[in-house]
Amino acid sequence: MYGNAYIDPNEKPKSIIDGEDPIKLAEFEARIARGEKIEPKDWMPREYRKQLIRMIEQHAHSEIIGALPEGTWITRAPGFKRKLALMAKVQDEVGHAQLLYSAAETLGKSREAMINDLITGKSKYSNVFNYPAFTWADACIIAWLIDAGAIINQVANAKGSYGPYCRALDRICTEESFHLKYGHDNVVTLATGTPTQRKMVQEALNRWWPPIMHFFGPSDKISNHTEILMRWKVKMATNDDMRQQFLNMYVPKIWDLGLTVPDANLKKNEETGKWEYTEPDWDEFKRVINGDGPCNAERLAVRRMAEERGRWVREALHTPKSTYVVPLA
Amino acid sequence: MIKSLDPRVTREQIDIDNQIAPLKDLDQWETYEVFHQKKRGDQHMHVGIVHAPNAEMALLFGKEQFGRRGVSVNIWVVRTADVFTSDYDDSDIFETVPEKQYREAAGYKVMEKINKYKKQNK
Amino acid sequence: MNHIKELLYKMADDLLILGHRNSEWTGLGPILEEDIAFSSMAQDKIGQSQTLFQLLHDLGEQEPDTVAFTRNANQFHNAIITELPNMDYAFSIMRHFLYDTADQLRFDMLANSSYEPLAKVARKVKGELKYHVFHANTWVKKLGNATEESHARMQTALNEIWDDALGLFEESTFEEQLIKEGVFVGEVELKNRWLAIISPILSDSMLTIPHESTWKPNIGGRVGKHTEHLQPLLDEMSEVFKIDPTAEW
Repeated sequence: MYGNAYIDPNEKPKSIIDGEDPIKLAEFEARIARGEKIEPKDWMPREYRKQLIRMIEQHAHSEIIGALPEGTWITRAPGFKRKLALMAKVQDEVGHAQLLYSAAETLGKSREAMINDLITGKSKYSNVFNYPAFTWADACIIAWLIDAGAIINQVANAKGSYGPYCRALDRICTEESFHLKYGHDNVVTLATGTPTQRKMVQEALNRWWPPIMHFFGPSDKISNHTEILMRWKVKMATNDDMRQQFLNMYVPKIWDLGLTVPDANLKKNEETGKWEYTEPDWDEFKRVINGDGPCNAERLAVRRMAEERGRWVREALHTPKSTYVVPLA
Repeated sequence: MIKSLDPRVTREQIDIDNQIAPLKDLDQWETYEVFHQKKRGDQHMHVGIVHAPNAEMALLFGKEQFGRRGVSVNIWVVRTADVFTSDYDDSDIFETVPEKQYREAAGYKVMEKINKYKKQNK
Repeated sequence: MNHIKELLYKMADDLLILGHRNSEWTGLGPILEEDIAFSSMAQDKIGQSQTLFQLLHDLGEQEPDTVAFTRNANQFHNAIITELPNMDYAFSIMRHFLYDTADQLRFDMLANSSYEPLAKVARKVKGELKYHVFHANTWVKKLGNATEESHARMQTALNEIWDDALGLFEESTFEEQLIKEGVFVGEVELKNRWLAIISPILSDSMLTIPHESTWKPNIGGRVGKHTEHLQPLLDEMSEVFKIDPTAEW
């Protein structure tokens, strides 16, 4: 579950390809233009490697941190069917983290280094997971709408240029389709259930709407930098395009259930085909992504606890003769 | 101590400012490449890696990470460090001149001769 | 049918409560790969428990969800060992090893039960249980033989949990009837076979079973006598369900 790559708009575009071998760069770009994938041991521009590591790593962190707000409800899921499905879903998120860390490792950053950057707050993860899941209905809204957003992003990224990331995403997208169905089924059940259930799900939607609008990130400033990353098929769509795609696919489904989206300005402009909405509060977005959200501190403290509690297990089984080499693919 | 919405977290009595030592190199163990066979008669296919401290555990982990859905009958794991690979830079070694019909099925056309023979001996 | 119901209840409750406890590790395990594997086994347990509650429902008991999510602790028949809170990973692995070995044996014996619906379930879950035991044996052997710390943690876990593990074999008042009708070969036989299997694995793992003279099986679970840990677990498990037990969730 992940939003979109965050690209620093202040980075100087010129520095991206400074000092790269022009012949190798041309071959690299021609390969991508032909629709071929880049594989781990291929030559690649420094900036390509750097952006991919950052992006895949953030994606992996989002999965493992994303397991926490939903994990909140694992021990309380109502009934066998929901209990089993939620366990399987959170397990999948852990599995996705495993696949994504593995893909990022092929670019030369070890899993240890990535986890260290996560638990010290140096590396980011998707902002939505810094919000709390107050009730069972919050877990249902996450499973439906946050996963829906994630699928839009992941389907786009699966067509990117880096082979290992695409392969991981193909597997992930298959599993996400179960998450989406599961989430939708949960929300439909609550929305068509008792008045109490309906109230729960409406309140959860109200709470989650602002983070959902934040999910794909602020409008991209179209710079040379973003242009190059799109040419290299690192960034596959603009944040606004993905947000529009999400609204187009899911707002009608939300309205079908008679639920209210808490934005009086939300409507589709039939002339332009674009959705109009109240501009999300991007100051809050920046504040939360920089550490000052309702759950940032808890999420990282829990991750540190989990790493620490597992440390003796990992150390016990570590054999001195083991050697690490970068995974193959 | 964290008082969380998640009862599991509250029970752990976690200090919000807990500091831990950074993970050391190889804390997550080395990697094994995983090969998975869906059904008897199929090739084993490479599906990804697992981090594991030994081959037996790599097998335990590979089975769940890559075989928990769908059908599987067999799985192989091999230490990444033990795999010898060719370089993509050398992928031109697979290129060869096209005039090698002598080893392609399409290089052998006998029907013409047979038809000619049949016609002559009618 | 009371003898069969009693057997089904204790098995279903064991699986539900231990599956629930094990699921508490999901997302918080010692390494991603093991997190995934342990979660699968917790799912298997809860799935198996649901199947057994369905058999009970077929025998006239209430719906599986109602039975699982609305009873109080004194109506549960699980052994004490399954309800104890997770301590460190050594504790969870040791419990997994001791319980799952017994569970596999129990189902194995039930594959030939005269009560065909249960025999059918036993044959169906055979593969899942085989993996659970394979997983447990590998971990116990590796941790037992690894470092001084891991060995000490495993030995401590074994010492602490041993009497609780013996409680798994608390005999039922229907024992004789179950054996006579060929439903189940009985707890004594199960315990003996279990001891014969775990003993060599533990000794290969450099772990020592407490001396027989000190054994005090922690029983009572099968007749609803539980520790203070079970009721809070049940309250948590049913928190959402009880908002409206008649609603569809």
